[in-house]
Amino acid sequence: MRVAFTAAVEKALLSDPDSLLITGDLGYNAFEGLASRLGPRFLNAGVAEQNMMGVAAGTALAGFRPWVYSIAPFATLRCLEQIRNDICLHDLPVRIVGNGGGYTYGVMGSTHHALEDLACLKALPNMTLYFPCADDQVKAAVVMISGEKGPTYLRLAISGFPSSRPPLAENPATLTRTYHLGGGATIVAVGHAVQIALSALETSDSPLQDADVFGLAKFPFDLKSDSSLLKSVEKTQRVVVVEEHYQNGGVGESLKAALPGVERFDILGAKYFRAQRYGGAAFHLKQSGLSPEDLAERVRSALR
Amino acid sequence: MTAAKSRAPDFGALRRDALAVRRKLLSMHFEAHSGHIGSGLSCVEILVYAHRIWKKPEDRFILSKGHAASALYAVFNHVGLLSDADLGTYYKDSTLLPAHPAAGALEEVPAATGSLGHGLPIAAGLAFAHRKIRKSSSRALALLSDGECDEGSVWEAALFASHHQLDNLTAIVDVNGLQGFGGTRDVLNLEPLAAKWRAFGFLTREINGHDFKSIHAAVTLPRRRGDRRPLCLLARTVKGKGVRFMENRLEWHYLPMDEGQFKRALKDVEASR
Repeated sequence: MRVAFTAAVEKALLSDPDSLLITGDLGYNAFEGLASRLGPRFLNAGVAEQNMMGVAAGTALAGFRPWVYSIAPFATLRCLEQIRNDICLHDLPVRIVGNGGGYTYGVMGSTHHALEDLACLKALPNMTLYFPCADDQVKAAVVMISGEKGPTYLRLAISGFPSSRPPLAENPATLTRTYHLGGGATIVAVGHAVQIALSALETSDSPLQDADVFGLAKFPFDLKSDSSLLKSVEKTQRVVVVEEHYQNGGVGESLKAALPGVERFDILGAKYFRAQRYGGAAFHLKQSGLSPEDLAERVRSALR
Repeated sequence: MTAAKSRAPDFGALRRDALAVRRKLLSMHFEAHSGHIGSGLSCVEILVYAHRIWKKPEDRFILSKGHAASALYAVFNHVGLLSDADLGTYYKDSTLLPAHPAAGALEEVPAATGSLGHGLPIAAGLAFAHRKIRKSSSRALALLSDGECDEGSVWEAALFASHHQLDNLTAIVDVNGLQGFGGTRDVLNLEPLAAKWRAFGFLTREINGHDFKSIHAAVTLPRRRGDRRPLCLLARTVKGKGVRFMENRLEWHYLPMDEGQFKRALKDVEASR
């Protein structure tokens, strides 16, 4: 998604003279061209994320709209209080961008995984979260963020089980995507975790063939506007959420709270292991029970 | 702060301002039964100077040591930025004037503070935006406490401001030598503090934070041509300044006054004029 983001944000930055790009010393092989085109509107704040968020807030107080980029855990957890106090409390148009949501950074190790970012940020006042389902949704997210007047977070990620399956439909207001309609259960994936479900659908006898598959890309929800998702839940009464994030505080829990009275509501999320072993994103998804096969198994059980 | 070639301020009038602010501050704390009196008393002259002399409409002042908000409110009231009625709500239910400056409450408070280590990065962002992008003459001033310099984010911001040569940024550190649970030398020694700010690339001056002449001289001292360093003033101060039984006493970071203490405190500040 980083390539898609770079292209989209370039357009956004060049069309808005009051926008800035601030990076926490990241963007090698991505931002070089942009840096030279933006001049003083490009700022490498160094490896100092707390100051970077404070500086971003200061520039926003001076009337600018900064995009602030780093690796997801560094852009969120390291500077969480700056995001709350300096940015969210003042409802400032600071666009935080975290690259490497979930297990994207796989073998880089636990410090580079972002499995709590959405939980932390979705609790903050005025914050709107965007977590695109696929590369081809990043541009739409960037355009929507450009129109937001308050703080936002954009979670970029690469799935361990990539799929290029196109959606059947997308709600332009919420970016919620409908990928498949099988009618028996409702699978709701959070952002790029939808690709786990799409990979499962590549098997012709997968139980997911009999389910509806949706991808969420924005929080807070606007479920009233997502009528096809609501209709599906009403009909199936069986919801399986899959997210590349810890279940505690995740988007799945919020969805469960927003859909009271559903007969069966399962959430598949990332797991913590004390003596963990490391590998690629797919390795970690399997370890957490988030592979396409694991999801298929859960859907089979929900369909019974 | 760039050197202003204006005539010297009326230091006598500034001292009278400070006295009036101290009186007001003591009354506010007595009526509200609130603490942080010592932290407010130590920065009265700095706050008065910042709002009477330093600040122009396009400049921004950030009280990074947010726990001295009562002193800031008293100064706002004294210079006509806050009505008596509004000041009277300090610390009460439904007030816009809580013990630490709130977000979006007062035009003159650009950012909520209270968690230490936030004000200098925000001020640096403002200074960067104005100096480097807008190319405007706006300046930013952050008032920090010495205990606040324990926070790593202060030094991140110092690196940033120095690297970008933000000569429109000033950090004033209220060095009263006391922090939350002890003396700064005993808790986490900051000295040599001036050498640290110099090493981080700030034009650094040590001043008497209760002497308007000393503050004014440091702010207006001419610079060498081409010197674009941000400015740091280490203001040596006395916590609880003006009230003898509070001066240099840790407990007046926390305690409210009873009526007898309030009367003695008022007498002290009158006598100290």
